[in-house]
Amino acid sequence: MRFNLKTLAIFLFVALECGAAWAASFTASLDRDAITLGEQATLSLAFEGGQSRTVPTPHVPGLQFSQVGNSQNFSIVNGAMSSTVTVTFSVTPQRAGEFVIPALTAEVGGQRLATEPLKLVVSRANAPSAETVNSGSEVVFLKFTFPKSKVYAGESVVARLELYVREDVQNFGNFQLTSSPTDGFSAGKVAELQNQRRRAQVGNHVYTVIPLAVPLTAVRTGPLTLGPFTAGAVIVLPSPNQGGDPFFRMINQGEQKQVTLATEAVHVESLPLPDQNKPANFAGAIGNFSMTASAGPTNLTVGDPITVRVQISGRGALDALTFPVQNAWRDFKTFAPTVKLEASDPFGFQGTKTFEQIISPQNSDVHELPPFAFVFFNPDDGQYHTLTQAAVPLAVKAAGSTPLPALAAKDNSAPENQTPQDILPVKENLGTLAGETTPLVTRPGFLAVQAVPVLALLAAFVWRKRTDSLAHNPRLRRQLAVAQLIADGNADLKKFAAENQPDEFFALLFRLLQEQLGERLDCPASAITENVIDEHPVLQDAPEPTRAALRELFQLCNQARYAPVRGRSELNSVTAKFEQASQELQEVKA
Amino acid sequence: MKTTSISSSRREEALIHCRLPIADCRFKPRGLGGFILFLALFFATPLFAADLTADFSTANKLYAEGKFADAAAAYEKVLSGGVSSPALLFNAGNAEFKSGHLGHAIVAYRRAALRSPRDAELRANLAFVRNQVSGATHRESRWLNWTGALTLNEGTVLTAVLFWLTLALFIARQLRPALIPKLNNATWILAALTIFSLSVLGLRATNHFTQATAVVTAAETTARSGPFDEAQSAFTLHDGAELSVLDRHGDWVQVADRAGKTGWLPVKQVEILPGA
Repeated sequence: MRFNLKTLAIFLFVALECGAAWAASFTASLDRDAITLGEQATLSLAFEGGQSRTVPTPHVPGLQFSQVGNSQNFSIVNGAMSSTVTVTFSVTPQRAGEFVIPALTAEVGGQRLATEPLKLVVSRANAPSAETVNSGSEVVFLKFTFPKSKVYAGESVVARLELYVREDVQNFGNFQLTSSPTDGFSAGKVAELQNQRRRAQVGNHVYTVIPLAVPLTAVRTGPLTLGPFTAGAVIVLPSPNQGGDPFFRMINQGEQKQVTLATEAVHVESLPLPDQNKPANFAGAIGNFSMTASAGPTNLTVGDPITVRVQISGRGALDALTFPVQNAWRDFKTFAPTVKLEASDPFGFQGTKTFEQIISPQNSDVHELPPFAFVFFNPDDGQYHTLTQAAVPLAVKAAGSTPLPALAAKDNSAPENQTPQDILPVKENLGTLAGETTPLVTRPGFLAVQAVPVLALLAAFVWRKRTDSLAHNPRLRRQLAVAQLIADGNADLKKFAAENQPDEFFALLFRLLQEQLGERLDCPASAITENVIDEHPVLQDAPEPTRAALRELFQLCNQARYAPVRGRSELNSVTAKFEQASQELQEVKA
Repeated sequence: MKTTSISSSRREEALIHCRLPIADCRFKPRGLGGFILFLALFFATPLFAADLTADFSTANKLYAEGKFADAAAAYEKVLSGGVSSPALLFNAGNAEFKSGHLGHAIVAYRRAALRSPRDAELRANLAFVRNQVSGATHRESRWLNWTGALTLNEGTVLTAVLFWLTLALFIARQLRPALIPKLNNATWILAALTIFSLSVLGLRATNHFTQATAVVTAAETTARSGPFDEAQSAFTLHDGAELSVLDRHGDWVQVADRAGKTGWLPVKQVEILPGA
C-alpha cells in the first residue's frame, strides 16, 4: 500500500511537472452573468498547466466574494498530460447594478497571466404583478402585510409575511430570507406563526399559505419604507413528461428549480408622539395597558418595609416599560424595584410586567400611600391615558428608640437611595489605585506554585508505601536496623581504639559480630558463636577468606578476655578487618 | 507636601518615569539602569498618587458644579495615566451618564465591576443606566450573576486555598493513617468543594477570555449584514446597547443581541470589554 501511494505521488508530481512544461493558462468564468439581488453566482478561477502560489481574490464594491472550494483535474489527451486546479468563489451582491469583475493576475508555471474582465448584472427581484398573482400563474410568491399605514415612534407592530405555495409544487425547501430592509424600525426575529397554516384559493389554483411574523418597533419618525423583502427557495415541480398520471408522479422526481421571491415595498408614516395633552409624568410607555397595584403591610412602624406590587398588562413594547416615577412618594425611602416580564406572545409585545418596589415611611405623619399613577400613550386612539390606583391608607407608628430594621437586600436591589430616579452620587475617596494586571489564573508562577502540594502528596504517598513495606517485612526491618547498628558501631570501635579501651572495644566487637551474623543467618544474635562459621550451611558457601577473617575476629574477642592489653594500632587494624568482613558478609546470600 | 517643592517640569518628568512601567507590564528594567529606575519609581510613586488624588478631587468638584462633560474629561485624564480604581471608574461612569453618553458610562461601570463586583452602589447605577438604553439591553445570565460576586482573582485564590486544604488533608491521611476515620468526611467535602470551585473558575475564565462584549458608544449605529459600508443594514442599535462579540474582521466586529440577531458594526462605534 505504501509503495502504491508513493508511486502515485511520484506519478502526480511528474504529471504536474509535465503539465507545467506545457503552456500554462489562467481563466476566470462566472456560472451566469445575470442574477437577481439575493441570489448567488459562482466565480471559477482555473489554473491550467501549473499552480499559483497565491490565489487572487477579486475586490468589487457591492459584491462579496467568499472562497467555497477548490478542485484538481488531470487529463491525458493523445498521451499529453495536463492538470487544472479550479478555485471557486461564491459571489453575493449587496445591491443591484452592473458590476465588472476586473482582470485578475497570477503567476502560473513561471508565467504572469491575466484573466479577462467579467460582467455581472444584478437586478432587483421584482414582486410579481397583481394580475399575475390573481391569475394563479405564480407557483410560489411572497406577500408582505403591514397592518397600519401610520404608526407612532416607539409603537410595536407585528407585520406579516405570507408565503404562498401552489398545490402542484411537489416539494418546497431551503427557504431563506435574503433581504429584509426595515430602515427606521427595530426588527425582531422573523418566525413562523405556529398552527396558522391555511389553504387559499387564488385564481384557479389552491395555495398553501405559510404565515411568518415580523415584529417591528418604529424607532424614527417620518416616512419609512419596509421591504421589499426578498427570499430564495428551492421548489420541485412536476416534470412535463409525467403528466397527470399518479404512477409517474410516484416514480418521477420532478424538476428542481431555484426561485427568488420578492414583495412590494410598503410605505409607512411614522408620527412623533403628540405634545398636546402630554402628561408631565409620561415616561414613554406606548401601547394599550391595564394596571393593578397593591401595597402591604399597611399597619407598620417608621422604617418598616412596604412592598408595592404593580402589574401592567396589555399590548405594547413591554420590554421598554419602566417603573413609573412617583413624585408623591417624598416621605418614603425607595429601593430599586425588581422586574418580572411574562410575555404571552413570542415577540414580547403582549403580556404582563410586574414591578415590586420596596419603600419605607420616613415618619409617623405618613397616613397613606399616595395615589399611584401610570401614564401611557395609546396609538390606537392617539391619546394619552392615565391609570390611577387609589391611595392606600397606612397606620404608621413612631419607631421611638428602636433602631430601623435592616432590609434584606435582594440580588438586584440597590442600597437605599435618596433620589431613586437618578444615579447614586460620585465617590469622594479615590481608593486603591492599580494598573491593568494579568489575571492570576494565567500567571505561570502562580500555576507553578500549585504543583507544591501535589509534589508533597506524592512524597507522602511514597513515604507511606515504604513504611507499610517495612511493617510487613520483619527481615528487611532487621536488615536496616543492623545496618544502622553496624554503622554506629564502627564509629564507636574507632573511638574506643583511639581512647585505647580494649575491654569496651572487644565487647562491642563481639556484639557487632553477633548482630551482623544473626541478621545474615536469620537467627537470634545471642545464639551466634564462632562455631556457626563452620556449621551453618549459609556460611559454608561463603568465600574462605571471609570465613577466616570472621574466625580470627571471634578468636581475638576470646583472647581479649584473658590478655586484654592491646595497643591503639592493633585495635585500629582490628576495626579495619571487621569493616571488611562486614562488607564481605553483605555479599553472602542469606 | 513634597510636590510643592519640585518644579512642575521635573514633576512631569518624574510622572513620565513612574507611569511607564505601570502602563507597560512587559517592561523589564535590567542592570544598573534598572536599579536606578526602580529607586526613581520607589520614591516617585507617592508623588504620583498624590497628584492623581488632586486630579480626582478636581474632577469631583467639576461634577458637583454640574459641569459633567468637563468632569468626564477630567476623569478620563486621570485614567489615561494607566492606573485606575473602582471609585475612579464609578465616578467616570457617573460623569459620562450625566453627559448623555450611556455607552461610555456602561463601559466605565463594567470596568469598575470587574474590580469591585460586590459594590452595591455600582450595581445600582449600572442597572439604572441600562434601564435608560433603548432597544437591545443587556441581561446577564443567572449563573454569571451568581459567580460574579467574586472577581476572577478572588475566585482563583479561593479555589487555590480549597485545593491546598484538600491536598493537606490527603497528605495527613498518608502521614497519619489513624486519622483517616476522623478526616474522612472533611476530606471528601473539601474535595467536592474544590472540584466545584475549579469548574466554576474554569467557566468564569473561559467566559472572561472568550466572551467579549461590545458596548455601543455612538448615539445610533446600524448593524450591517457584512463587514463593509455597502452591506445591507440588518438592525439599528442605540447608545449603550450591549452585545456579544462573535467575530472580528479588520475594522469591523460581528455582534449578536440577546434575541440572536447578528450584524457587523464598525469598531470605532463600540467599545470591546472582556467577559465578566
